[in-house]
Amino acid sequence: MRLLVIGLVACLVASCSSGKKPDDEAFLKSLENENSAGPGVDEDVINAILEQIPSPLEISVLLKESGTKYTPEMLNSANNLPKYNSNYKKALNLGVYGTDLGYTNIFGRNQDGIKYISSIKSLADELNIGQFFDMVTIGRLAANSKNLDSLLLITTMNFNHINHYLQTQKRDNLSVLLLTGGWIEAMQITCQTAVKNPKNKELQEKVGEQKIILEQILLLFSFYQDDANMAALMADLEKLKVAFEKVDISYTYQASTMEIVNGVAVIKDNSTTSINITPENVEEIKNITNSIREKIIS
Amino acid sequence: MKKFVFIVLGLASFGMSPIPDQKCDAESFATSCIPKLANGFNFLKSYKVDGVSKDKVEYSYVFTKGTQYMINLCANGNATDGIVVSIFDKERNKVATSKVNGQFISAIAYPCNATGIYYIQYTFDDPSGHCGGSALGFKR
Repeated sequence: MRLLVIGLVACLVASCSSGKKPDDEAFLKSLENENSAGPGVDEDVINAILEQIPSPLEISVLLKESGTKYTPEMLNSANNLPKYNSNYKKALNLGVYGTDLGYTNIFGRNQDGIKYISSIKSLADELNIGQFFDMVTIGRLAANSKNLDSLLLITTMNFNHINHYLQTQKRDNLSVLLLTGGWIEAMQITCQTAVKNPKNKELQEKVGEQKIILEQILLLFSFYQDDANMAALMADLEKLKVAFEKVDISYTYQASTMEIVNGVAVIKDNSTTSINITPENVEEIKNITNSIREKIIS
Repeated sequence: MKKFVFIVLGLASFGMSPIPDQKCDAESFATSCIPKLANGFNFLKSYKVDGVSKDKVEYSYVFTKGTQYMINLCANGNATDGIVVSIFDKERNKVATSKVNGQFISAIAYPCNATGIYYIQYTFDDPSGHCGGSALGFKR
């Protein structure tokens, strides 16, 4: 009992000695990467580009639907969490873990997903955005694979809320990092799966069409060149852009047609895109993506 | 279960959101549109359609080949309250609209055949409250 009292007093003294409340410290730390967009950059422009980036969930669904095997070895280990000490790394890996969680959920591997939920919650708390995760509800949904739809809905809504919140708090640089981390993770999963399944043309094309997303991400990064971390990551992404320049995407417009089915306007899209990408291109893109990802998760 | 989760989320998000615009609570309409996505569609985004002081509201999103998207509309009163959603490709060609032969449709299903940036534009056919919400979902 005496030891317990001494311990409690010691903790109290330690917490007071910093002169700041824990909440104050967390808040100050959250400002570490305060919006560094240069003057003159319209926030609405940044937010509009951020909104364009597709959800990594779309890629996970493609991988599942195309019959590829669930491969958890491709994912970042949830145990890497203690490595992420700066807000820069935390935001990037929050995105990485978000993609990993989506992948495990889509493949119905909820037990694997629970590890990611825990890491996501920790990173979100440290970035002062943990209030968007209702861990009790998520944990209950994750315990039963029949709740997949609800689990996907709640996690997608959580990440959307986080992005909107960061944008309203003028911390959209963290939002850019979160989306970029999620995209890079989805990229490496897609590239690795595409290399293992060279006959799957759709997967090769899926890698190729990421050229469009990369262009948008690079546009976002161009607003944050004063931030040393983001400038370094942008330089790496530029190398990826060089590899993507060998991929040709051509678009042919043709007017669409439509019919009304059960009160829904169902469109027949007659336009097409043709994506020319070789297995060598995929291999090169995979290698560069992996080297970028390695820097992010290590 | 899904409805229960949705109610909890709706209440939670209301508590965390800024005070809604008194003229147009587009956030509520956007949230109410999410469970109205057809079965099989995974939720992606919800969009506020606050056109009280505008002629149009526009968002953009990268649609990908081989994926079917659904965009629906929610508003006061009758189903769409004069709100029309149209999709334009990167060259600004109109590829879909929810106003068909003068009829206002509350949802568009768009099986995308060409990957690229698309513009999701909301316009208003008066009389309209110029206020609503919308949700985007996808399925393979």
